Amino acid sequence: MPAQKKQTAQTAQTPRLPNWLRIAAVGRNPKFTLARIVVLVVTCFIIFKFILLVIRTEGISMLPTYKDHSVHLVSRVAYLWHEPRRGDVVSIRLAGFHVMYMKRIIGLPGETVAFANGHVLINGEVLEEPYEKLPCDWNLPPEKLGPNEYFVVGDNRTMPPRYHEHGIARRDRIIGKLLL
Amino acid sequence: MKIIFRIVLVAALLALGVWMWTMLFPSPEKVICKRLTELARTVSFSPNEGNLARLAGAQNLAFFFSTNVEVTLDVPGRVQHHLLGRSEITQAALGAQSAVSGLDVKFPDINITIAPDKQSAVADLTVEVRVSGQQDLIVQEMKFTLQKTDGEWLVTRIETVRTLSILNFEPLRFPSIVLR
Repeated sequence: MPAQKKQTAQTAQTPRLPNWLRIAAVGRNPKFTLARIVVLVVTCFIIFKFILLVIRTEGISMLPTYKDHSVHLVSRVAYLWHEPRRGDVVSIRLAGFHVMYMKRIIGLPGETVAFANGHVLINGEVLEEPYEKLPCDWNLPPEKLGPNEYFVVGDNRTMPPRYHEHGIARRDRIIGKLLL
Repeated sequence: MKIIFRIVLVAALLALGVWMWTMLFPSPEKVICKRLTELARTVSFSPNEGNLARLAGAQNLAFFFSTNVEVTLDVPGRVQHHLLGRSEITQAALGAQSAVSGLDVKFPDINITIAPDKQSAVADLTVEVRVSGQQDLIVQEMKFTLQKTDGEWLVTRIETVRTLSILNFEPLRFPSIVLR
């Protein structure tokens, strides 16, 4: 009778995978593998939800620094310890995080920003812009920035100003700094 | 093991119940979001769409708006329109259909604020427009005001929001946009 029981139990068992395949699929210790998967998923969720945003650029206003249709990372924690700085390329939200502007900060709160013969003037002084490689002939009157206001503009200023989205962004609209 | 199974089963049943409740009795935010998405779909038309279908689309557009709807589009360098009433919106839609071969409108980010009386709401959203044959993506932040009339959420007012404010000059045409 016990021998019959043993046989029934053996036949009831599902056919096992080859050992090497089982190890490849679930690892030597399935519990640890499961724990590793959970940790990986949680880590990815936290990183890509709260720390880094993967973005794709569309448009030519950041040429030649950032090409059309290129993929980049935005750090959402870059400004936790310090405020945005001049020269930073930042993402500026519209109504949400799915479509954003990507611009460079040239003016900081309290400063006066103007353009003269294509040169940026900060409080009347010419701003050195090593990233600015394309010709620009903008002439724009001074704009005084209030507290928590930043002047942002793209690197490609070859088109007339009215065809180039630029201007004053409030601090709460700046959601992060471009890393790559 | 049995206890774990029971806990999982109860949790799954609870989740199913919550999901069914939200499907049967959606929140006003969800209803408005769905309605605005439908509106975007109605505005859109493809180049190979027939004239009758386009006409029907333009006529159907009126049902999304209140009779005294007011639309103020102020996109410097691109559009400056003030429309009043459903008929003007239908006319504008027909005009747009004859001006461009195709239009793909999306609202990728919609933030809805319901008034305490639950009879009106404001939707701050990003409008993303692709015109057939044009490479540039048009994006604009807009504010929609909606009113609940006979159980339906109707748009009573649309106005553009200036994401990047500027005092002295008028922008737009080649925005560098990032998509997620």
